[in-house]
Amino acid sequence: MKFTAEQLARSMSRISGPFAVMLLVALALWPALRRPVKADERAASPLPLVYASPLELQLSPDGARLYVLCQQTEEVRVLDARTYAAVKAIPVGHVPRGMALSVSGDRLFVTNSWDDTLSVIDTSALAVIATWNVGAEPSGVVEDRAGNQIFVANRISNDIAVLDARTGVEKKRLLAGRGASYLTLSPDGKRIYATHVYPNATPHRTAPASEITVIDTERAMVVERMPLPGVAGVFHLALSADGRLGAAAEYHPKNLIPLAHLEHGGAFAYTLTLFGADVGKPVEIPLDELERYASQPFGVAISPDKSRLYVTAGGSECVLAIDVARLLRFVHTRPRPASGSFANDLSASANYIVTRIPVGHNPRGLAFSPDGHRLYVANRLEDTISIIDPRTNRVTSTVALDGPKVVSALRRGEQTFYTARYSFQGQIGCASCHIDSTFDGLQWDLEPDGFGRDIVDNRLIEDLKGTEPFKWNGGNPDIPTECGPRTEMYFWRSEQYDGRVLADLALYMRGLPARPNRWRLPDGELTPSQERGKALFERAVDRFGKPIPETNRCSYCHSGPKGTSQKSFDVGTKKPTDNSGLLDTPQLTNTALTAPYLHDGSARTLEEIWTVYNPEDKHGRTNDLTKDELNDLIEYLRTR
Amino acid sequence: MRLRFRVLSMAAMVATLVPVCGSAPGVTKTLDEDIVVTAAPVYEPLAVLRGEERFPQGAQLLLVHQGNAAPLVKGFAASADANISFDGKSVLFAGKQAASDPWQIWELTLADGSVRRLIANSADAIRPLYLPAGQLVYAGRTSTGYRLVVAGKASLSMMAPVAADAGETLLPISHLQGSAIPEDVLLDGRILFEANFPLGSGTTPELFLVYSDGSGVESYRCDHGRARWGGKQLASGDVIFTHGASLARFTSPMAHEVPVVAPHAEYAGDLAETAQGDWVVSSRASSAAHYALKLARPDLPNSASLAMQAVFAVSGENLVDPVLVAPRTRPHHHPSALHPWSYANLLALDSRLSREGDLRTVPASVRLETMDAQGRAVANGTAPVEADGSFFVQVPGDRPIRFALLNAKGAVVRQEHGWFWIRSGEQRICTGCHTGPERASENRVPDVLMRTAVPLDLTGAKAVSQSQTNAPGGN
Repeated sequence: MKFTAEQLARSMSRISGPFAVMLLVALALWPALRRPVKADERAASPLPLVYASPLELQLSPDGARLYVLCQQTEEVRVLDARTYAAVKAIPVGHVPRGMALSVSGDRLFVTNSWDDTLSVIDTSALAVIATWNVGAEPSGVVEDRAGNQIFVANRISNDIAVLDARTGVEKKRLLAGRGASYLTLSPDGKRIYATHVYPNATPHRTAPASEITVIDTERAMVVERMPLPGVAGVFHLALSADGRLGAAAEYHPKNLIPLAHLEHGGAFAYTLTLFGADVGKPVEIPLDELERYASQPFGVAISPDKSRLYVTAGGSECVLAIDVARLLRFVHTRPRPASGSFANDLSASANYIVTRIPVGHNPRGLAFSPDGHRLYVANRLEDTISIIDPRTNRVTSTVALDGPKVVSALRRGEQTFYTARYSFQGQIGCASCHIDSTFDGLQWDLEPDGFGRDIVDNRLIEDLKGTEPFKWNGGNPDIPTECGPRTEMYFWRSEQYDGRVLADLALYMRGLPARPNRWRLPDGELTPSQERGKALFERAVDRFGKPIPETNRCSYCHSGPKGTSQKSFDVGTKKPTDNSGLLDTPQLTNTALTAPYLHDGSARTLEEIWTVYNPEDKHGRTNDLTKDELNDLIEYLRTR
Repeated sequence: MRLRFRVLSMAAMVATLVPVCGSAPGVTKTLDEDIVVTAAPVYEPLAVLRGEERFPQGAQLLLVHQGNAAPLVKGFAASADANISFDGKSVLFAGKQAASDPWQIWELTLADGSVRRLIANSADAIRPLYLPAGQLVYAGRTSTGYRLVVAGKASLSMMAPVAADAGETLLPISHLQGSAIPEDVLLDGRILFEANFPLGSGTTPELFLVYSDGSGVESYRCDHGRARWGGKQLASGDVIFTHGASLARFTSPMAHEVPVVAPHAEYAGDLAETAQGDWVVSSRASSAAHYALKLARPDLPNSASLAMQAVFAVSGENLVDPVLVAPRTRPHHHPSALHPWSYANLLALDSRLSREGDLRTVPASVRLETMDAQGRAVANGTAPVEADGSFFVQVPGDRPIRFALLNAKGAVVRQEHGWFWIRSGEQRICTGCHTGPERASENRVPDVLMRTAVPLDLTGAKAVSQSQTNAPGGN
């Protein structure tokens, strides 16, 4: 069992007394005692401070209380919505992600994404009254108006669980988009709209596609899949109080075009898809400008009178204010492109964006007071809440949440990871492609290898220590090399951070933990199928009794605790557009989550690696395996 | 004799420095900030685009401090084009020690008044601007006009004069027949420059952008037509420029210029923005008058136009190009990603797309022309255009080039109005042909890259007929 600094800090926060402090310091220093530490690393070594990291906000129906979901301290903080005085902090589960109130406001539901549970909080007692097991990596949650059913979006299992609202017993699952994450109940309660953060599968080297999954609440059935062509990464969705206008915040990547420069939306468009009776046919509208981008849109809120629509841009550290009347005028008067999307018109937003309101680091969730006079914004990486007056579109006050007053190197590194300020015109940050510090399910055509050459799949960045070198060609020996001048030249296309900021970023990235593996049994044992797969993974003889050369066994290249020998091999997967067939052996950490596969993402599934792209057994001896054996092998790989 | 006249006239001018009234008679404003401004009896702002002298009767930099002016540098027959360093401690300028000297680039240290020459050349060097990372950009005179030159090596501070033959420390970054004059360095690191539109062939002043390594040259906006010059970026990111009789701005959200409602006057060149957000502009009532400095309040509520207050004037002198003597935000440095090639690659994603109206039929081919040393257009060959309008070609670097789209019979269906260049080692993508900066590209693999990742060689290094060997299905 391994812990990151943050995980340790969370655990330690629940232990009090001098012993905890001594242990904390000893653990913090332990890596430094074990190995030589370079001077710059020593300077950056942090005490693992735990920050509130407010992610989502909810107002009680009477507007008296503000519920703040704090991801790193793993609690819901209850504030007086007028004075911002702390009322109570309610501990919840591991890495909470989603939060919703029941219609009456008597219960608050919190999804705990790393222990796969749902915390039910009694808002009178301000205490957790139940913790229910749910699906893999629960994220968004809503309860229907009747209080009969709770819907939970599961990011890893790509579905929406329907629970009995009284018992928490799961009744059914509804298939949603890949990385199902955010749920919104329509004002009349009849529909639930679900979004997902990773794109659905599309043919290799074609545009990504996503959907808004529309659910009939009463019947708990999917009634529509609203297509979002070209979109990869959909976050919060809001509906106007009259239910006639819906808006979802999205990323619209340009991954199929060589990433030669960032100007003119070279890497991303950040957009909203609008739908509903006010709009007619759904339409995608951009949030960007010609020289300023709305990087990483996340939260959406529509004012109660439907005059304004607000969007948080996590990477741009601002809130966009949109005039709804002007927006609808634009939608109805501007001839629509054949694609139905205005995403590529960088001058469009001048027609409806009123202003950009600067807020804190990485703004995420936002919520209106019931009277619409205040807009609350959670600045996740600053531990503050910005309060905006929608009449003036100005921040009237900023509330600091309790927590460390010192910004640690680890925290600075995380801020650097999420901000877009280092890239040309603020278009991208690390998190634009590594959504929530993971990956994006896309393949990119990077410029230095040549246009149309060396198409590369974006890899997961969890638990990186011991997986060096980086890049599919193994060209970067460490994180500072990966994220330093190379990133400046070929990604940011602008001056980036200095050495200290780079060291902070590297510290953050080195500490990114692996999510809990959902395919492993709780006791660490393997299922019979996984056991058989493990034997195949490690076998030295094929089914005909012929020895498999050591270098052609799965376990040779994918060796070690992370499943990589950290060496490059040619496994016969070179494409005509590749400059070389010699490729870095990817780690197997949480490999079940990271489809598609191979260096260029050409294998849609793990199985296709061997059934389609291994005709000569260069990528391990696999052509002698039966379908059942391949299934066993896959079952084992999923446990890595 | 001529030199003596100039010195005398300059001395007389300095002796008669007086604040005078502008558009608000009887009301003058003393600025809190020190300002350096160029004073000249005659000012021809656009002469430089014709390769001619802007200050035919000389010019002198003045330091205006609390309403009083004094020459900024001593011992110079002429000085102009002040640019303050990012730390506010030194001033770049163009100067002539003797009237017969060419304009050269100098740097003044404000603390002690010491002066050193940074560019030593036999030709005029004007309009210097500080760049990040110890570099500067200026306009150097050539036989075909002024060209942009970047001096200094990244990460190397300019501690010594840079000779014209200093190799890599002097990098020409514009490659045109005609002049390009730097106006400002934008916060995103790009150089704003003025040149005539169509680039390399036209006569209408226009504003353009280029990275500090010479890559990515493009029009700032493509609503061409009116003459625009003298651009300066504000802290907000907007760029203010002049049409001569009016001011206008480029803003990030808009694809076209936005008028600035200002009193009717003639406006000259650059403005300066104070720490309070006010503008120090140079204007005159008519061509019969001289330019004087005015303070404008751009954000006064309910004002139909800029409220102007006279700040400073000098009888018989034009006061132009004011700069504040204060630290300022350092722009981002552009990390050059040019490859070590003698050529460049250009990928057009959909050549049918244009601000002038999208073509309804797919061109059959694209022709590349380069300009030779005599200014003649030379055809370098053609490349096929794919069904989706894409093409991928290798072109000569650091030379004027232009494209024409041809139909199946070889007739031109559309061609560029002017010329542009691609730096050697640059890999560039165009959304279409003159689509304007507001049009981003669609996310799809262009057909040409599905067919081949090898650009068709149109550098002229091989026989033109080579292009015929790269028909669809090749490579």
